[in-house]
Amino acid sequence: MLKHVLCIATLALIGLPTPSAKAQGEVTVYCSVLAEWCEVMRTEFERATNIKVQMTVKSAGETLAQIRAEATNPRGDIWWGGGGDQHLQAAELGLTEEYRSALLPKLHPWARQQAEQAKFRTVGIYAGTLGIVWNTEQLAKRNLPAPACWSDLVKPAYRDEIQMSNAATSGTSYTFLATLVQIMGEEPAFAYLRELHRNINQYPRSGAAPMRSVAQGESTMAVTWMFAAVAEAEAGFPVLNIAPCEGTGYEIGSQSIVKGARNLENAKKWYDFALSAPAQATGVRAKSYQIPSNVEAPLPPKTPRLNEVKLIDYDFAKFGSNDVRTRIIARWEKEIANLPR
Amino acid sequence: MTKPAAAVEFRSVTKRYGPVTAVNAVSFVIDPGTLVTLLGPSGCGKTTTLRLIAGLELASEGQILIGQRDVTKLSAADRDVSMVFQSYALFPHMTVAENVAYGPSVSGTPKAEAQAMAAEKLALVGLSGLEKRLPSELSGGQQQRVAVARALVLEPQVLLFDEPLSNLDAKLRRRVRDDIRELQQKLNLTVAYVTHDQEEALAVSDRIIVMSNAAIAQTGRPRDLYEAPNSVFVADFIGDANLLAAELLTRQGDLGRIRLGGLEITLPHRNVSTGAIRLAVRPESVLLDQRSPPGAIEGRITKAAYLGTHMEYTVASPVGDLFSIDHRTGAPYAVGTTVWITLAAHGAVVVPNA
Amino acid sequence: MTRSAALWLVLGGIGYAILPWYLVEGLSPLSAKWWASYPFGNAGSGLFLGWSGDRWWLGPTFLPLLVGAALLVRGGRRPEDGRWLTWIGAAGLVWMVIAGFAIDHRNWTIDLFAEWFGPEKQAGMGYGAFATALAFLMVLAHGLAARGFCRSDAFVVSAIALVLGLVLLFVFFPIAQILVSAVEDNNGHFAPGIFFVKFFDRSVWGLDCVYSNLRCGVAWNTLFLAVVVGVGTTVLGLAFALIALRTRFQAKGVLRALTILPIITPPFVIGLALILLFGRSGAVTGLLFEWFDVPRTRWIYGFTGVFIAQMLAFTPIAFLVLIGVVQGISPSLEEASQTLRASRWTTFRTVSLPLMRPGLANAFLLGFVESMADFGNPLVLGGNYEVLSTKIFFAVVGAAHDQSRAAVLSIVLLTFTLGAFYAQYRWLGNRSYTTVTGKGDSGLPVPMPKRMAWLCYGTAIPWAMFTAVIYVVILVGGFVKTMGRDYTPTLQHYITGFGIEQTSRGLYFAGSAWDSLWTTIKVAAVAAPLTAIVGLLTAYLLARQRFVGKRSFEFITMLSFAIPGTVVGVSYILAFNVPPIEITGTGLILVICFIFRNMPVGVRAGIATMSQIDRSLDEASLTLGARSFTTVRRVILPLLRPAVVASLVYAFVRAMTAVSAIIFLVSAQYNMATAYIVGRVEAGEFGLAIAYSSVLIVVMLLAILVIQLLVGERRLGRRTAAAPVLQAAGG
Repeated sequence: MLKHVLCIATLALIGLPTPSAKAQGEVTVYCSVLAEWCEVMRTEFERATNIKVQMTVKSAGETLAQIRAEATNPRGDIWWGGGGDQHLQAAELGLTEEYRSALLPKLHPWARQQAEQAKFRTVGIYAGTLGIVWNTEQLAKRNLPAPACWSDLVKPAYRDEIQMSNAATSGTSYTFLATLVQIMGEEPAFAYLRELHRNINQYPRSGAAPMRSVAQGESTMAVTWMFAAVAEAEAGFPVLNIAPCEGTGYEIGSQSIVKGARNLENAKKWYDFALSAPAQATGVRAKSYQIPSNVEAPLPPKTPRLNEVKLIDYDFAKFGSNDVRTRIIARWEKEIANLPR
Repeated sequence: MTKPAAAVEFRSVTKRYGPVTAVNAVSFVIDPGTLVTLLGPSGCGKTTTLRLIAGLELASEGQILIGQRDVTKLSAADRDVSMVFQSYALFPHMTVAENVAYGPSVSGTPKAEAQAMAAEKLALVGLSGLEKRLPSELSGGQQQRVAVARALVLEPQVLLFDEPLSNLDAKLRRRVRDDIRELQQKLNLTVAYVTHDQEEALAVSDRIIVMSNAAIAQTGRPRDLYEAPNSVFVADFIGDANLLAAELLTRQGDLGRIRLGGLEITLPHRNVSTGAIRLAVRPESVLLDQRSPPGAIEGRITKAAYLGTHMEYTVASPVGDLFSIDHRTGAPYAVGTTVWITLAAHGAVVVPNA
Repeated sequence: MTRSAALWLVLGGIGYAILPWYLVEGLSPLSAKWWASYPFGNAGSGLFLGWSGDRWWLGPTFLPLLVGAALLVRGGRRPEDGRWLTWIGAAGLVWMVIAGFAIDHRNWTIDLFAEWFGPEKQAGMGYGAFATALAFLMVLAHGLAARGFCRSDAFVVSAIALVLGLVLLFVFFPIAQILVSAVEDNNGHFAPGIFFVKFFDRSVWGLDCVYSNLRCGVAWNTLFLAVVVGVGTTVLGLAFALIALRTRFQAKGVLRALTILPIITPPFVIGLALILLFGRSGAVTGLLFEWFDVPRTRWIYGFTGVFIAQMLAFTPIAFLVLIGVVQGISPSLEEASQTLRASRWTTFRTVSLPLMRPGLANAFLLGFVESMADFGNPLVLGGNYEVLSTKIFFAVVGAAHDQSRAAVLSIVLLTFTLGAFYAQYRWLGNRSYTTVTGKGDSGLPVPMPKRMAWLCYGTAIPWAMFTAVIYVVILVGGFVKTMGRDYTPTLQHYITGFGIEQTSRGLYFAGSAWDSLWTTIKVAAVAAPLTAIVGLLTAYLLARQRFVGKRSFEFITMLSFAIPGTVVGVSYILAFNVPPIEITGTGLILVICFIFRNMPVGVRAGIATMSQIDRSLDEASLTLGARSFTTVRRVILPLLRPAVVASLVYAFVRAMTAVSAIIFLVSAQYNMATAYIVGRVEAGEFGLAIAYSSVLIVVMLLAILVIQLLVGERRLGRRTAAAPVLQAAGG
């Protein structure tokens, strides 16, 4: 018996620990969007450049934690996708490399502006607008009116019907807090959140969870990304979304080159590739309906255009900074999250 | 046997477990080709001593030599010693043949040769034909003999027995004990044998080492120990003994006059000074009579038991309760009978260090 | 000097003089890179790099080896060998540790040295360094053995040194790294005050729920859940065990199957199935609404949901522990009680139940610890009910990125689990619960009292049916379009995940799940035997050997069991991303992580089984000239088969179902199935997640069969008490 076991163990061990061949033609990508999109991008990039892509798909939060832990000896080359918030945080912590792509002039102003604010340590690749989404079947069952504004959400009729993710753990909800503060001012925003709290049935920790709940009918409404609702609707779920009348915030999905990247040149190639119009057009194929940052990239159908919704002038510099974020999240945790309902 | 039997020597060996001293500065020699018994009550250190010989424990202090070689720091596997365990310790997942061939096969002997060696020893203990059985399919006596065969197969310099008979019934015990003795003499083996059964010890040993409280109480031939115990402990432990308070009146050469109640007897004084002494009297030397010989002590039977070959009596007397064995079973004394007590010529001895 | 000591010295020499000292990326024996600048350059050996001045700090390692060479040349066995070997081993090891930790891949780790010696850098330990370090450790062990340690048994001393070395390196070192961050602020500065602030924070220990409608601290939540789950699983497990052994219940086979399934179910899946059934839009909820007008609510989210999911997941463990214990109770004891005119009920209450005490304690402890460490169910079903494991995870990955808070919460969790271990240890004390003796027991088990039997049926059968329904959902979920909405049968999920295409070059595994499935199977297959070996070796040392510091040794080996997976994952990255041990991103780090996380079960199973094996068997083998290694191989291991099976199965299953620890350790090349499933769940592709989980369940069932075939049955020639395997699996 022992012999068998030892044989298997040795055989497999020999195969295991040899580190990957980091030859010239490689790049390690940490991908923080939907796995399908990651796959499509990998294939497209490999086809375009003949560089082999090693790809890990993890959420933005997990990826940032990993890049931080690996900071002394980075493993990844480029971090592609995921909330601009986390990318800005990485930039502030000095975890990412400054790089000015030749394609910068081709980007929408909001993307250029974010890159400048981050001292070119990150760049926007797509934008997603925050909105209200709901399950039409559930809404009809309860004879509830469809919401149109942020202010509608605090109506007593919606008690227990709304879901938003936990701001302490999810970038989505932080964007929501920051948006409210920018629309209303901090004190009124927290007063609003206190009222909203009564209607929230759950603060799940994952940013993607509220959308899931609404699609499945577990919750009637949610505050989350509008493009996610488009994808769910495409998949056949009875989901609608709206950009609130007061105006709304947005996140800029970004990419950054990891500081100390082992394949810096290839990382830059990916960086440029990802900013190009054809690369940004891949999202639609993978059911990701965000708005591309390259002006020449085609807009996905059905997704609300940025110029169609009322966007606030989101201050990424201020609300992306560690101090402001920590303070707002701490205040939300202290004053709102633990309130009785 | 190809190898000559080897001597075992302990030089002031001590074994401690934390604060507990299991064996305290013990020295002795086991001559080549002899069977020596380590005898004593449980917890006296006899098993630890045996395990020190085997190398299953290492001495805290002192030196152990086997056949002139210092083995103090050698592990069990490096010593040329085999052991028969109380529980036999037969490997339950191996057949009888595999068990016996285990020793040679782990030391690299070719398989066929190891099997031949095993077959030879199994024949020696009379178990040929049972090679394919598992130990659990054997009787207790057969298992015991497998254990012996397994221990013999490497023809060790020293063979150790740890209470080998304790799991057998009384009848079988006597037979196996004789078998072991016969084997030992036939093969001229050096054997150390642990038991708490003094009768077993007397029956098989060339010499006996009596242990008590982690130390040696007395060493000697069985007859020496029985007839000349040098302490109350040994007198009491080897065979039964009535330990009586007496008085040594005078000493003349090796002999002394001793008074026990109204009785005066002459015995070797064994260098005990005059005055109060302890006398050990074997039960078969306590003679009972209904007539009154001169100087006899008067007693009364308080218990009587019939054991087939002999009677056992407990007699209340002025010198204390006496335990007596009487081989005249024809007309036993009834409880309550008044008897007169005398001592036989042999079987009473002065106990030094009392 | 013994032959094995000499061999280790030679290995040390080879490692130092010939093998490439550092880990060279992309090195394979076939590549030409080897010979480019060998024996210097990246793949150079310690000897040449050290004495050419290139990596001068490798030079002194030569000295102890030279002394060893002198000893070898002189030959023969001398009493002073032991002392020399001890010094060689110790000196070599100490120097390697100093030199290893003093310089990393960037520069000296102590700035002062950089000023003195100028900048230097080095890569992680490679084959050469590893072989040399191992050799020094073994030489040290042989030296100590020659000086009389552990009855001069070189194998035992080597084993202790090896296990201790590994555990210190792969448990203690990384854990210490992260716990240090508990007293640091997030910029790495020492700040003990923050520790107290965070430790005594109201969100951790607040008792608001007692006197107000606010929520209680997360520590109390976790503790409460764990206690309730521990008690619940123990009671249910006992009911199952009693039904299986003490009644004439017909469908015992089904019962057994239902108890195995949850153990091999990947995390999340039970929670998902519960949502699909009882969520606001779940199947059952819908029926209740339509038939009885029961309003649709979200009751499943929160304490209730997590509790039900954990009960489903952990009751089998309690059952497996308790069935062994119930089986082990000697019927004679119960008969004795009845002859003393005790009624069946009194007998059960006063004799049987107290005899089960160790089993009950063990079952409770396992339920308690599993509940504390559970990550998947609270994540899916927790709602607003927070527990430590998820809180720790989100402290690391959430928007706040507060590693020191994660460390502080880990300490709280650690305190609870270690406290439970200690309490159990004290409660059981030194009382004797031995009921399995060598003697045959001819008594017949007393049937359960009527009341008790009905109670058991009443709890266990509904529960068993409930479990069955859950698994029907899981099975069906993979074959319909969208569970809960669209029940059109489809194979789409399986094709997406496990599609195989016939191409001109043969079969092409097109499914997106193949990569992670192969990796998972490979890693689990490597980790399982190694886990079993390390675990059983440790058990052998603990059960059979006496040595100084045994209790601390035991404690350290149990430590990794009590630490939440997330903490382990992050600490592994912190510890092993830089030289001297640089293994992140490889499959090796996954294997090592699994070995040391799952080893404690092998240890427990081994100790339990070994305590049933008479110690004189080992001693008989020793006196027959077999060394300890041979004894272990030929006598103990064959008798240990039940424990071998238990620890292999456990290690394999755990390696395939672990989530929280590996989420940080997976890399592009080495992605694991569970990480993939988590991704699917996050993306809302429940169908694919469930399909993949079903495949994993099948793979694990096959693996268990293969393990049993490979290891085989224990041959004792008598009817074995069947329990130990199962008992061990839990204990």
